[in-house]
Amino acid sequence: MSHLPVIIFLIPFLSAISMPLVGLKRPRWCRPMTMVSVFAMSVAACVNLWLVLNHGETRYAFGGWPISTALPDPPLGIEWVNDALASVMLVTLSCLASVCLVFGGPVTPQSLGRRTALYYTLILLLISGLTGIVFAGDIFNVFVFLEVASLSAYALVGVSGGRALVASFRYLILGTLGASFYLLGVVFFYAATGTLNMADLAQQMADKPELLTSKAVIGGSTFMFIGFGIKMALFPLHGWLPDAYTHAPDAISPLLAGLMTKVALYAWVRVMFWVLGARADLSQVHLLTLLGALGSVAAVVGALMALGQQNLKRMFAFSGVSHIGLILIGVSQGNAAGFAGGMFYLINDAVTQAAMFFIAGAAVYHHGARTVDEIAKLRQGSRWLTGGLIILALSMIGIPPTGGFFGKWHIILGAMEAGNYFAVAAVIVSSLLTMAYFQRLFVRLFSEQPASPGEPRVETHLAFRASVGVASAGILVLGLCSDPIVKVFRSIAASAGL
Amino acid sequence: MIEHIVAWLERPNFIAFVIFFLWGIFIMVAHANLVKKLIGMYLVQASVIFLLVTISAKSQATVPILQGTDAVQSESPTIDPDQYSNPLPHVLTLTAIVVQVATLGVSLALVTAIYREYGSLDEDEVLQRIE
Repeated sequence: MSHLPVIIFLIPFLSAISMPLVGLKRPRWCRPMTMVSVFAMSVAACVNLWLVLNHGETRYAFGGWPISTALPDPPLGIEWVNDALASVMLVTLSCLASVCLVFGGPVTPQSLGRRTALYYTLILLLISGLTGIVFAGDIFNVFVFLEVASLSAYALVGVSGGRALVASFRYLILGTLGASFYLLGVVFFYAATGTLNMADLAQQMADKPELLTSKAVIGGSTFMFIGFGIKMALFPLHGWLPDAYTHAPDAISPLLAGLMTKVALYAWVRVMFWVLGARADLSQVHLLTLLGALGSVAAVVGALMALGQQNLKRMFAFSGVSHIGLILIGVSQGNAAGFAGGMFYLINDAVTQAAMFFIAGAAVYHHGARTVDEIAKLRQGSRWLTGGLIILALSMIGIPPTGGFFGKWHIILGAMEAGNYFAVAAVIVSSLLTMAYFQRLFVRLFSEQPASPGEPRVETHLAFRASVGVASAGILVLGLCSDPIVKVFRSIAASAGL
Repeated sequence: MIEHIVAWLERPNFIAFVIFFLWGIFIMVAHANLVKKLIGMYLVQASVIFLLVTISAKSQATVPILQGTDAVQSESPTIDPDQYSNPLPHVLTLTAIVVQVATLGVSLALVTAIYREYGSLDEDEVLQRIE
């Protein structure tokens, strides 16, 4: 069982490699193969979560080289950390990816032809890259997996051609700039400490307090943050996101929106709390205060920009920018309540974002509705889409019993505890703005007469019903079971020294 | 003031890195041609790798393979680390170069697809044709 983390990674990775071998001859096998491997990965991730919660964290040493468990001996090998935070993230990632694959069936890009095998290879590579980021206990390893995931994401955004190509190119240019900034941060850290292992870095920061105030570490953490800021689409570095998510194929948008930015934020949380420590200062500026301010601005401005959008997918993309800000507000309060709230909101937001793009994709597939004005066409469909939209709007705005309410509740509790009333105001203002843009949707949806009332109802595709249903149920379950989950995050926060 | 300049000049590799890095970003921002943007991107990546290589350089050091009497297995090896250059940054460099090549491959494929679709490599023209 000690090899479980690697097995979880290898399931999607090996099927990604074998996909072209099988799929070029038998394109029909690609989709079932992908589904089976991602479902198997989800089951393995759930088992892993159970093991970690009951038997404590494990660290995996590749090739049996000494890792951070052998400190103060220098850790030579590559290390994977399989702790509670990583395993919770992994369950979210793999389960969400399976639901996204279920959703993706009917909306798979039509133009693929013989490239179907390569399309599924890219999806599996994206998932395995994200798994690698979640597990990595080594800052250079994070860089490599970040690039594996990002390269697959660039290609997946541009897969259906047309306008998506230009969006994908912009994503690639900015994403690569972000990766270069991150690598620069890694170089600075390595130059200052001579190690890349996260636990060893943290140990050195604790042993030598002057290291935290040295120019190399200040510069390195700034560059790392800029790099992750681009990857997680933190305002004002979010330039690539709206175009990429709007023009990406409908099957791909939920996967990217739910996972890419969230995992980049998770990677930053790892560096922030497990390497630098919560009390890190950048010269005179307290790092967490800075993050909180950036998060507050992003939360409000992202919601404002979402308010001004006509295109449905674009509006949802901007709401993602706003919610990244909310998560940052949570994790930057420097206390356990805020951290737990932020991480809980991260998981809730991953599900919510995916659900939003499910609904946007299904609206295009059944009704050709791409803009806010056309949303009234949804009433010709079955009630699944409308019902799902209502549940996720409740969650986005933050009304109990959805997960969004409890996430925001704990974020606000944390901000109150830290006496940070500016952040509290930002959370409330962004919730009100979220309400405003969903108000626009619902006014269109319920008050206007459908264009042609005599038409028969369109039956929603089974895959859409299943994916929207599971995602909505997930949002409700997250809300109803928020107490044990937040408890887990609080104990994680305690282990990070909060 | 003078000592600042002297301190800077002691590390010419940092100056070269900053010039290449900013030059690359400038090309990415200022040029409308997509291939030129890629050249800028490549320059940015290469400059970071250049920094990684230069900070690991060591004078009077040789390849990290035990040589001479060091090679003899003994109870208490007395290896002087100053005589050997550090292999780790070079391994990182190789990995980073692989990532860079993969990025370049994906980006060139995208540029080719854009050119086939819109018949132009100029960003402004492409954006015009989209509208």
